[in-house]
Amino acid sequence: MKNTIRQVFHSPKFVVGFCIFMAILLTLFIYPLLNPGNPLQMIGLGTFARPGTYVSVYDGVTSPFSTFKLPQADANRLDSLLTTEDRVNMVNWFSLNGVDVAGLDITDTQAMIALWKQHFDPAIRPQGMTKAMRNYYIRLNTSILGASSADALVVSETDEATGEASEKSKITKTDYVNVADVANVVTLPLGTDNFGRDTLKQLVAACGVSILIGLIAGAVATALGLLLGLLAGYLGGLVDDIIMFFTNIFTVIPSFVLLILINYSISQDQRGAGTVALVIGLTSWVWTTRSVRSQVLSLRGRDHVNLSRLSGHSLPRIILTDILPYIASYVVMAFILQVSSGILAEAQLSLLGLGPKTTEVPTLGLMMNWAMLYSAHLNGSWWAYFPVILVIALISFSLNLMNTGLDQVFNPTLRD
Amino acid sequence: MKGYRKYFGKKILWFVITFIAALLLNFILPRLMPGDPVSMIVSKQAQGLTEASAVKAIYDNYAREFGTNRPMTEQFVTYIGNLFRGDMGTSFSQYPRKVADIIGDAVGWTLGLQFPAIIIGWLLGNLLGALAAYIRKGFDKVLMPVSLFFSSVPAFGMAVVLLVIFSINLKIAPVSGGYGFDMIPNFSWNFIMSVLQHYQLPFWSIVIIAIGGQAVGMRSMSIYELNADYVKYARFLGIKDRKIVGYVFRNAMLPQVTGLALSLGTMIGGALVAEIIFSYPGLGTTMYQGIKMADYPLISGTTLIITVMVLVATFILDIVYGFIDPRVKAAQFE
Amino acid sequence: MSNKILQVKGLTTKYVTRFHEDVYAVDHVSLEIEEGKSLGIAGESGCGKSTLALSLMGYYFPPLHYISGEIMVDGKNISGMKPDDVRKSVLGTEIAYIPQAAMNALNPTRRIRRFVEDVILAHDPKADKKQISEMAEARFAELGLPASVLDRHPVELSGGMKQRTVIAISTILKPKVLIADEPSSALDVTSQKMVIKMLRDLMEKGYIRAMIFITHELPLLYNVTDDIMVMYAGQIVERGTAKQMVFDPIHPYSRGLMHSIIVPEAGTRGHKLSAIPGTPPNLKNPPQGCRFADRCQYVVPQCRVSPIPMITFDGTRTYRCGHSVAHLREVYSHDDA
Repeated sequence: MKNTIRQVFHSPKFVVGFCIFMAILLTLFIYPLLNPGNPLQMIGLGTFARPGTYVSVYDGVTSPFSTFKLPQADANRLDSLLTTEDRVNMVNWFSLNGVDVAGLDITDTQAMIALWKQHFDPAIRPQGMTKAMRNYYIRLNTSILGASSADALVVSETDEATGEASEKSKITKTDYVNVADVANVVTLPLGTDNFGRDTLKQLVAACGVSILIGLIAGAVATALGLLLGLLAGYLGGLVDDIIMFFTNIFTVIPSFVLLILINYSISQDQRGAGTVALVIGLTSWVWTTRSVRSQVLSLRGRDHVNLSRLSGHSLPRIILTDILPYIASYVVMAFILQVSSGILAEAQLSLLGLGPKTTEVPTLGLMMNWAMLYSAHLNGSWWAYFPVILVIALISFSLNLMNTGLDQVFNPTLRD
Repeated sequence: MKGYRKYFGKKILWFVITFIAALLLNFILPRLMPGDPVSMIVSKQAQGLTEASAVKAIYDNYAREFGTNRPMTEQFVTYIGNLFRGDMGTSFSQYPRKVADIIGDAVGWTLGLQFPAIIIGWLLGNLLGALAAYIRKGFDKVLMPVSLFFSSVPAFGMAVVLLVIFSINLKIAPVSGGYGFDMIPNFSWNFIMSVLQHYQLPFWSIVIIAIGGQAVGMRSMSIYELNADYVKYARFLGIKDRKIVGYVFRNAMLPQVTGLALSLGTMIGGALVAEIIFSYPGLGTTMYQGIKMADYPLISGTTLIITVMVLVATFILDIVYGFIDPRVKAAQFE
Repeated sequence: MSNKILQVKGLTTKYVTRFHEDVYAVDHVSLEIEEGKSLGIAGESGCGKSTLALSLMGYYFPPLHYISGEIMVDGKNISGMKPDDVRKSVLGTEIAYIPQAAMNALNPTRRIRRFVEDVILAHDPKADKKQISEMAEARFAELGLPASVLDRHPVELSGGMKQRTVIAISTILKPKVLIADEPSSALDVTSQKMVIKMLRDLMEKGYIRAMIFITHELPLLYNVTDDIMVMYAGQIVERGTAKQMVFDPIHPYSRGLMHSIIVPEAGTRGHKLSAIPGTPPNLKNPPQGCRFADRCQYVVPQCRVSPIPMITFDGTRTYRCGHSVAHLREVYSHDDA
């Protein structure tokens, strides 16, 4: 046993897979400690806030200012002001008005602004330009001039009684606030989802639930498969025939279809994560049954099993001491594969709208489902779906790697 | 010849048995649930409907179609009878269209998408796996983990990633559908081009995953065969290595036919979910709409058709395998 | 004057294991066979006899590597040849091989006829397929195999039939030397006899001109081969005629090996290896002196000092032991009494 484990940990594939999986598990335990709170809490209004650090504007304005005169400040301001679309539109304006744009780099903000200030005239009305477009150019011009002027912004306060606004403070372009002085700063490494929930916090929670679903499904499938396989292989005869009859049928009928039919028949409010895991487990025992049965069949005729039988040992004892130890490696491998396919099955079901109910816990599939329903993939909110796909792939990859590693340890012909 | 006949006979028998089992499951599963299936369906349907007479009308309609007021055996006979007349009931969400018609429209898209994709993925995957096993060294060291990783990516995930890269960012492929939304299916050049454009992303998302999975399997199979005794013997008879490699890959590839048959259900399931991402007008999207609209007859019809597709494909693969691999014949004499 | 058809001088080859360790399974082996003669090689499993069979082919691929020595077939030195020349002009035509596991020696998905074509075309790319077929049919018939075998897949043949088919294929190009590695161990008694008879026929009909027969079943060697050689830990420890080796073995190991077989008491068949206590030395790091020293009951400290050379005695016989022949004979007669 000890030797086997040592051998397993000498397989580089297994070790890499094991490390990835353990890193994921560790994150699941540590992250909630660092960042506690309900992962389903909607912290933001509006959908899909971009990843990044958010600073409270109110607290920023009321924090003490320092003055810095940084040479790049104006340029930076303009740089972030002009989107790629604005830049393309500016070039369009230039070419419509006969300005030579040869050699102009649209990422070179200074050159663009210089050329703009030199040529733009709100009075010019290029032929064929819509009114909306002309207004857009005028707005663009205003903000470009504003960004490069020296005017200050005024913060005013409204008197609740009179409704009159009075100046409270002025913010100039050289005013800076130390982030440490700002009372409320929140970092959302993966932004928020369609409901304004912290995506990373939700992802960590969902990952845990999905792995749990995989483990439950895998455990159910493996236990059932092992039991049926042992019975069929060891008892043989009629029991074997009956078990194999059903096994053969469910080998061909896709478990995917069964999952859909069963899950559809359970109404949404009764479909907890545990139920879904159980259903997945109950529909994926066939492979384990098959491989356990064929292993047991080949073991049944071995000397040590015969000896045990002749010595009058009971069936459970023979199975426990003479059969199980020999098929343990296969069972572990089958379990690992089933955990991985269970996680995948949950994700697919949730995408179809047949996953666990949505109010209790997040799962990877449900996160994916919401992201798709709110078209995160079409509006550029990559943080809502890509990390989910990556996590599913990584879990599955790590489990598959472990499985391949084990396979090479236990099947020497496959060794490199 | 006797061996083959026995093999085919057995396969046909199993095909019939599994077919009947599939029908039974499709019939029984929704009826096994506690309570009256019709009222369950109607309660889903009638969400938002307040008028009692409308709910009653829906209820009566389904009670008639399901025949819930009659005994189970009679219901089953009616169900089978209807099926053989090609009647799968009436869709609720697309009333008054027949489920059979809706499925008829979708089936071609799914077959046209998945059949070539799975075959090509299988061929390319086998080729890569064989090369990895033969070349080993660096090629294998890179290819193996990459294949394993790709085979671990869920089909819908691959679909989303391809969609975002090629449709949204590079804008070189259409975002959704099976053809231009402004088109009516016909046999014009424009329409065919549009279909082909829409075909690319769903196709490759299935192919890439299939390649990964098959390459991993083919690699181990080839390594196993390369170590076989016949390789050594053929070498010592002076047969050229190139010829022997041909033996090995043929022998490794044949069991991959069975491998494909066994993984078909999972692959098709994954690909159906990928269809949803592209709103591809196949069975996956149809089923998704059925689920979203609580359209029970449509769900029942699509799941049945999918099952039958998998059954038939598995059956064909089994038969083909019996023809092309002489080892099967030997196994039948055991 | 007799013609030496196979001469091997100081052949050394090594195996490289998965863990990159070198195993010297064939260590300075020299042997020769005269035309029309057969040589049996005996030894425990792991003594290097199967590796010797592979090494004699002159065609090496991982994990087996050639280190030194010479192999001459009918006066032609094949050990310095390019691998592809060996493949084309030696394998199958000069030296042919019958593998240990003939059960799986044939490509399961190729009909025998196609495989025979592959073998012949590998040496003569211009050969005519029809002529090949006719030749193969005639040869199979001559060796007592039904022509229908040619149109079968290997999986359709019984074990004995498969082994005889393998022999027929190995000798289809009339090789000068045939090396048979345990060709009959896995077969039932009837099939064994047919295989042996077939090998004799091949010799008599001139399809092969010499044979090396490797086995651990010594009674078989006595009936089949002219000479017997005993191998231990990668080295030859004794060689003589079959009669001499069976009734008058000189090396303590040969004696142990023969003794446990020749007097078959009930129950000893399955335990013949335990007749000599202990296990062979680890070939990754063989002992300095006599390799059998650790298991030899006649061992003296001198045995472990330096390598023991091959010594010729009684004119034609050779052995590898520190003790003199006279001493050993005396000790043995003492033991027997």
